[in-house]
Amino acid sequence: MAIEINHLEHVYNTDTPFEHKALHGIDLSIPEGKVTAIIGQTGSGKSTLVQHLNGLLIPSAGSLDICGFHIQPLLKIKDVKQLRKEVGLVFQFPEYQLFEETIEKDIAFGPKNFGETEENANELVRKILPMVGLDESYLQRSPFELSGGQKRRVAIAGILVLNPKVLVLDEPTAGLDPQGAKEMMSLFMELNQVQKKTILLVSHDMEHVMRYCDHVVVLDHGKVLQESDVKTFFEHPEWMMEVGINPPAIVRLKVMLKEKGFVIPDEILNEEELIQCIKGQVMIHE
Amino acid sequence: MNNIALGRYMPLNSSVHRMDPRAKILILLLLMIAIFIPAGVFGYVAIGLFILFSLMISKLKISYALRAMKPIFWMMIFLLVVNVLVIKTGTPWIQWGWFTVYSDAIYQTLYIVVRLMFMIVLTTILTATTKPLDLTLGIEKLLKPFEKIGVPAHIIAMMISIALRFIPTLIEETQRIMNAQASRGVDFENGGLKEKVFSILSLIVPLFVSSFDRAEQLANAMEARGYDPNKKRTRYKVLKMTGLDIVGMTGSICILGICIFICITKIGM
Repeated sequence: MAIEINHLEHVYNTDTPFEHKALHGIDLSIPEGKVTAIIGQTGSGKSTLVQHLNGLLIPSAGSLDICGFHIQPLLKIKDVKQLRKEVGLVFQFPEYQLFEETIEKDIAFGPKNFGETEENANELVRKILPMVGLDESYLQRSPFELSGGQKRRVAIAGILVLNPKVLVLDEPTAGLDPQGAKEMMSLFMELNQVQKKTILLVSHDMEHVMRYCDHVVVLDHGKVLQESDVKTFFEHPEWMMEVGINPPAIVRLKVMLKEKGFVIPDEILNEEELIQCIKGQVMIHE
Repeated sequence: MNNIALGRYMPLNSSVHRMDPRAKILILLLLMIAIFIPAGVFGYVAIGLFILFSLMISKLKISYALRAMKPIFWMMIFLLVVNVLVIKTGTPWIQWGWFTVYSDAIYQTLYIVVRLMFMIVLTTILTATTKPLDLTLGIEKLLKPFEKIGVPAHIIAMMISIALRFIPTLIEETQRIMNAQASRGVDFENGGLKEKVFSILSLIVPLFVSSFDRAEQLANAMEARGYDPNKKRTRYKVLKMTGLDIVGMTGSICILGICIFICITKIGM
């Protein structure tokens, strides 16, 4: 079951001088079991949209259907609490949500909030730790003595332990070194492929979008600017540059090669094929 | 989080907004003193008119000022109950079995309520029309003469402005952590006392951790730019008193004078 968003609008600080309309009627359908990227510049409404998905924000107008919940204006928190178990939201710099004395307690915090017993919760923690690349020796350590990357793993484990059907990730690799970022992304891809979780990825990194995502949604000033599958999206780099998105290196390289007179088909999006294509043309030329 | 009315700057363009912060602070100070001088109905009417006039030319909505008073509503009720039970002088107004309400109880409550309301509206006007940084600049300039007797005016002003600067950041941070914990199933609105305490704990600890981080970063950034609190510094913005500042201060001095006069001579009481 896909996530259906209908004419979603959101207004902050209604009836004050700070009133601000962040979303102007969003219509979207996010496919189940796929990885969808949400991109857009700062202030385009990405974070606002994402916070509607697990009921942190309730729409001012419009509605959304997600995991069997129908979210519409004027709902109460009590009505959507269970939705938060189905949709796991990982915020930017999630390491700031750690607060417990030990890593075990911190990861078990979520399940206990949703009514699991202490033993069950601890059992779940033991299962989830290896998934984020940490072993049981970490259980009794304080989360505050870890390195930045490890803290983030613990924080993400704190969401994964709830076993959500949909995983929403807001810039999960921000501030990580390239190696750490790559490991983090492969973890999410594994969750998508093995456990068939629907993943939404808010990202500024077009390399990641191209490599890992199936579907792309572009937001601009609270509206959907474009929605397409990832291949079609990266076949039109001119359009991307017009709206201020920096395309991935390979797409930029293709544009430059075309300017020099190479003929490169739009559908080539990986290094191997590009090398073969260039090689072929150079040989013919010689 | 976003509906905290008290003490928030409202970005409007009015003559009150453009006034010198020093003048506004002084007016507030003078009127505060006047409010606490027992000058009968006439004194309160004078102060009330002055406040009403400033509220009008500041372009602030009356509803905004009223909203700032919401927190003291229950205090007013409490005061009324205590006064009615304790004060047994004046003429009896309402008799109900053994229970009598005396006129002095009502008057006394009214006086206190009016005083509180005046103070809240005045401070609301000041903070709603003055940017926090201008406010601290005003405080610094007003404290300047006291530097001779060892009051570190600049350090106090710097501390206030850093504190003010980080209020929005902390509110934002609080909101962010609340969202993150709510995503882990914390319910900040419902639940019993034990759950409430635990949910607040999940908010306070991360907030403390990030505040200490921030404080350290800020201190490093300031030191890296050679900040020395004891050095003399110049200002980009130079304060200047204009017509309305003089009028406002003269007005409030007059009101204070009238109140003192009434209080001493008891005319009109």
